[in-house]
Amino acid sequence: MLPLAHFEYLAPTEAVEASRLLASPDARLVAGGTDLLVSMKHRLFEPRLLVSARRIAEMQGIVPAAGWLSIGASCTLRDVSRHGIVQQRLPALAAACRTVATPTIQAMATLGGNLMLDTRCMYYNQPAGWRASLGYCLKREGSVCHVAPKGRGCYATQAADTVPALWLLGAEAEFVSVSGTRRIRVSDLYREDGMNWLTVRPDEVLTRIHVPLEDRSVAHRKLRTRQAIDYAQVLVAVAAPAQRGEPWSAVVSSVAPRPILVESETAEGLAELSFRGSQPLSTHLASAPWRKKMVRVEVARAVDALLRSHAGSG
Amino acid sequence: MSEGSNENRPGWAVYPTHAGEPATGGVLGRGERKIDGRGRITGTAVFTDDIQLPRMLHAKFVRSTEAHARILGVDLSAALEIPGVVGYALGEELPKKYGVIPVAQDETAMAIGKVRYIGEPVVCIAALDEETALRAVRAVKVSYERIDAVLTIEDALDPRKPHIHEGSRKPSNILRRVFQEYGDVDRGFADADIIVEDTYSYPGSTHVPLEAHVAVANPEPDGKLTLWSSTQNPHYVHRDVAHVLGMREQDIRLIKPAIGAGYGGKCDPFCTDILAAYLARKLGRPVKIALEREEVFYTHRGRHPTRMWLKMGFKKDGSITAVDFKAWADGGAYASYGVVTSYYLGVFMPLPYTLENYRFESHRLYTNKPPCGPKRGHGAIQPRLALEMHIDRAAQRLGLNPAELRRANCIEPDTETCNGLKVTSVGMKQCIDAVVQASGYEQRRGTLGFGRGLGLAASAYMCGALHPVYQNELSQSSVQLKVDRSGEVTLFSGTADCGQGSIHMLAAVCAERLGIEPSDVRVIEGDTALTPVDLGSYSSRVTFMAGNACIAASDRVRAKLAEAVAAKLGVSAESLVFRGGKVYVADAQERGVSFVDAVWLAEERFGPIGEVGGYKPHKIGSRFRRQSVGPSPAYSFTAQVAEVAVDVETGILTVDKIWVAHDCGRAINRTIVEGQIEGCVYMGVGEALYEEQRYRGGLVSAPSLLEYKVPTIHETPEIETFIVETHDPNGPFGAKEAGEGPQLSTVPAIANALHDAVGIWFTRPPFTPESVLTALARAERSKS
Amino acid sequence: MSDEVVLTVQVNGERVRRLIPASRTLLDLLREDLRLTGSKHGCDVGDCGACTVRVDGLPRLACITLAAEVQGASVQTIEGCGSKEAYIVDALDKHVASQCGYCTPGIVLCLASLFDDQADADEAAIREALGSNICRCTGYTKILAAAREAAASRSSA
Repeated sequence: MLPLAHFEYLAPTEAVEASRLLASPDARLVAGGTDLLVSMKHRLFEPRLLVSARRIAEMQGIVPAAGWLSIGASCTLRDVSRHGIVQQRLPALAAACRTVATPTIQAMATLGGNLMLDTRCMYYNQPAGWRASLGYCLKREGSVCHVAPKGRGCYATQAADTVPALWLLGAEAEFVSVSGTRRIRVSDLYREDGMNWLTVRPDEVLTRIHVPLEDRSVAHRKLRTRQAIDYAQVLVAVAAPAQRGEPWSAVVSSVAPRPILVESETAEGLAELSFRGSQPLSTHLASAPWRKKMVRVEVARAVDALLRSHAGSG
Repeated sequence: MSEGSNENRPGWAVYPTHAGEPATGGVLGRGERKIDGRGRITGTAVFTDDIQLPRMLHAKFVRSTEAHARILGVDLSAALEIPGVVGYALGEELPKKYGVIPVAQDETAMAIGKVRYIGEPVVCIAALDEETALRAVRAVKVSYERIDAVLTIEDALDPRKPHIHEGSRKPSNILRRVFQEYGDVDRGFADADIIVEDTYSYPGSTHVPLEAHVAVANPEPDGKLTLWSSTQNPHYVHRDVAHVLGMREQDIRLIKPAIGAGYGGKCDPFCTDILAAYLARKLGRPVKIALEREEVFYTHRGRHPTRMWLKMGFKKDGSITAVDFKAWADGGAYASYGVVTSYYLGVFMPLPYTLENYRFESHRLYTNKPPCGPKRGHGAIQPRLALEMHIDRAAQRLGLNPAELRRANCIEPDTETCNGLKVTSVGMKQCIDAVVQASGYEQRRGTLGFGRGLGLAASAYMCGALHPVYQNELSQSSVQLKVDRSGEVTLFSGTADCGQGSIHMLAAVCAERLGIEPSDVRVIEGDTALTPVDLGSYSSRVTFMAGNACIAASDRVRAKLAEAVAAKLGVSAESLVFRGGKVYVADAQERGVSFVDAVWLAEERFGPIGEVGGYKPHKIGSRFRRQSVGPSPAYSFTAQVAEVAVDVETGILTVDKIWVAHDCGRAINRTIVEGQIEGCVYMGVGEALYEEQRYRGGLVSAPSLLEYKVPTIHETPEIETFIVETHDPNGPFGAKEAGEGPQLSTVPAIANALHDAVGIWFTRPPFTPESVLTALARAERSKS
Repeated sequence: MSDEVVLTVQVNGERVRRLIPASRTLLDLLREDLRLTGSKHGCDVGDCGACTVRVDGLPRLACITLAAEVQGASVQTIEGCGSKEAYIVDALDKHVASQCGYCTPGIVLCLASLFDDQADADEAAIREALGSNICRCTGYTKILAAAREAAASRSSA
């Protein structure tokens, strides 16, 4: 019914080999495939080569190490959310994994894939015939952004459910390429550009996600139309101060190409500051003004949840 | 059965319907498994897309990217160079217009000369596989010259706008205007103590069957053709494919395999059917066309976006003095069933409340968007929202209990409405009582606190159309039975089970009359080479009409068996009971024979046993000659109560529970009836919460299951179902319908509950978080 | 490099070895090549669950899985459901939880995967799992009733 275009396919066993293959411009890495294959069916891109993450050893397994939890990028969201240490020490990450799409997709999609998720827009994530009718957009084949025709850039939004929580948990992403290995904080991974939203090169292979086991108190919230299948209209994570004198922080996502960090001296002020700091555009079918209001509601609810759990734990 | 009761026209019986009889065969009213359930559950049921034939080609469409444009040229050169491309067809090759409604045949299989909506097929290309066909389709260049597009109701009524269908007899973008008036409406308003008047807007929505439209065609060596189609209406596809291809109907065998549902969306003959058939003949090879999900949204035929104005007069006691109603339906680029829609918008308003003075005017309009058509509750869903909200608004102003106001106004059985609908059985009050009691509506309404509410609504729907869409005096449904010496009964019918359970219904009705089990009946349906005609799965007609045809055929078999057994036992045929696989003397079970022996005795006496039965409704004289669309042999009734919660910070509406009671006449299988009611409620909840076919200009905003939101299990309320049985005198065993009627009152019940929750009348579904939040803010401002 | 892959998988317990285009989805491998047509094309892009199969026991959407990616794995489709899954099929049948039947094979595999993982799956777990599958006919009421009954029959067995 909706066939894929032809491509070549390789399944290397080492990340550095994958990196070498990904240096060619028409190559893509496939892990869970739950977003990539959809985009390929919609002809958002037609890679010449798919490099499978399936056999790459460095991307497997969840292991604790010296105060950190090291999660292989190929681990599925289901595996991550069910891991004992994640459930006990990183409940916000477990919760974030469980809000992705559906349980079946959580059993396919990987944590690495979620971090590297393409930015999304109602003018971009559409079937091929639709885009041909409207006229293509800046992010794919076209020369104009339908969200902001007079603007200069692409406003497709960061939509990955696990990113706000990982950001506030202080997670780091490990990338392997032919030029070596480097670790980048999740908070440094994204750029304010819907077309080039990552600060890493296409040939850098995300192999592991390292999350500090610091028992930070983080709450994850996802506002979506339906409680399954849907991407977020607003995505937030909120962290309580780890110690006296530190601010409350929120990461607000699904409103811009880059998640937005908001800090507030007080718990009460965080929602209002987040509201003022978010300027959603018409990238979703739900209206931008409503989504902006929802930033305030969702942040306030996340703050409440943290305050309640603190009160509960004495 | 007695041949003497046939209105003196042999073959045209007013058959006994056995309404109100106890279930002598022991089958009726059970809540058992469907005879075809396992095949569907275990994936062995064959759907059209499951068919693969040797040398089969796959074809795909080049579709219009313009809403309204002249086609200046089609450049196929690059496409035809792609290895694996085998052939193609252009619109000009199939110039004959077609359509189910004879007075509005305005559609060709593909666009000719100009395109009228984005997504309209322009070229069809066949290749060795789908990927090649898709590459070829993407390589075709079509050049267009834009024409000013007609996109809204205002556009369609604007005489300065171009005509979408040029050269028609009455050049305008109004497909049909209907005006009807009964009683003295102005006098009725003058007599009223209060007038309730407002406008409503109901959005368009689409069916979303999980199976897309698929057709497979196989050219036979003798020049004939076999066509498999995922259609609800095999008979109309059969006729129209023959017509467009210039073939004789008898040279086409149309087979309807298992259908992945339709909800009205597979009632038209589609480009898939015609092009698969045409290309198979042109290229001499089997051809399959399976639509992509995106294309299903462009194919559409969904609910008409409808703007409405409703004025009602009430006396202080709540009685209705007059109703004046106007509706404008935005119908898209082709007629489809739109002429029928224009009537259905108005003709059911005099149900279920007593009404003497009624006037309506409706317009079905052409716009440059995918064609609208019949979706579950066709045309009656939209006005029901307005009517049922008006009833609650009147109750509020008069200080009356909305449930009591409805009960007091209910029509009685055997009533003729002001517009000439002859209503037989009516279970309206029982339905209202059931849901009002179960939900605690009268005690709990208004007490749940701000943000929570209860709402009630009632409705009525048809059980098939009295008059066929093309005029004839033939059977509207027919059943043929072959009885094997083994005792197996094979039932042939042209019906199209698209999930509603009509296969089981036929088996159960037959089994009930013959005293055997439904699983002893093998049902062969929807194959023009094997099965006698049934008009199709639309207008909630199948149980009523095919069920009656099945009784007719079964009773003929039964009469032969009874006569043979009676002769053998030396008793009268009338004294025999058919039950539990036996034919025996009533009150003397030991005096009898097995069903198999009865078949042997009958075959000895009469030769091979095979019988037919047909059904067409009685001619019901109406006072109004023009009332040809709307009258039905019976009407079903529904009441439901919705309990909702509103998150006042986000505006998110949650439907927590629906209590629904439906007068289906009689439940032939209780579980299937419940399932139909639950499915209706589900679809109504979708239309209340999210569902809308939105457009950006002429382009469907989001042709995907990700963005066209149908409720998942999480958003679906608990549904508590009550079956009310009124034993309609004309229905098979008294049965009416359950597949559409229950949807009518779901959205209004939710709208009325929303008012109970937050004190605001929401007159435009879907009740999205943003619309709720905006209304709450406006209400807050007007308070301060 | 090649745009073809030699694939070896177990499908419903039988070894399958084929040369396939790398672009072949698991769904097309099953339906077109192996003629196992019980898994359905619904949306074709991972939104509806009609193509749900099990790969090494876990639910998987065959429409957005490359056949090449299940190399060496064990795939179960509705055709491979037998006595082990009979309690699910029977409960769905008893409750007439399948109307048109297009979504039902996917639901059987979704539930089989759930109950194999959680023999004592409660209502919340059943609802969460069924969030993966759209049924447009039933309003889920009968499916939920059947799933509850299947869970009960399984945990008492």
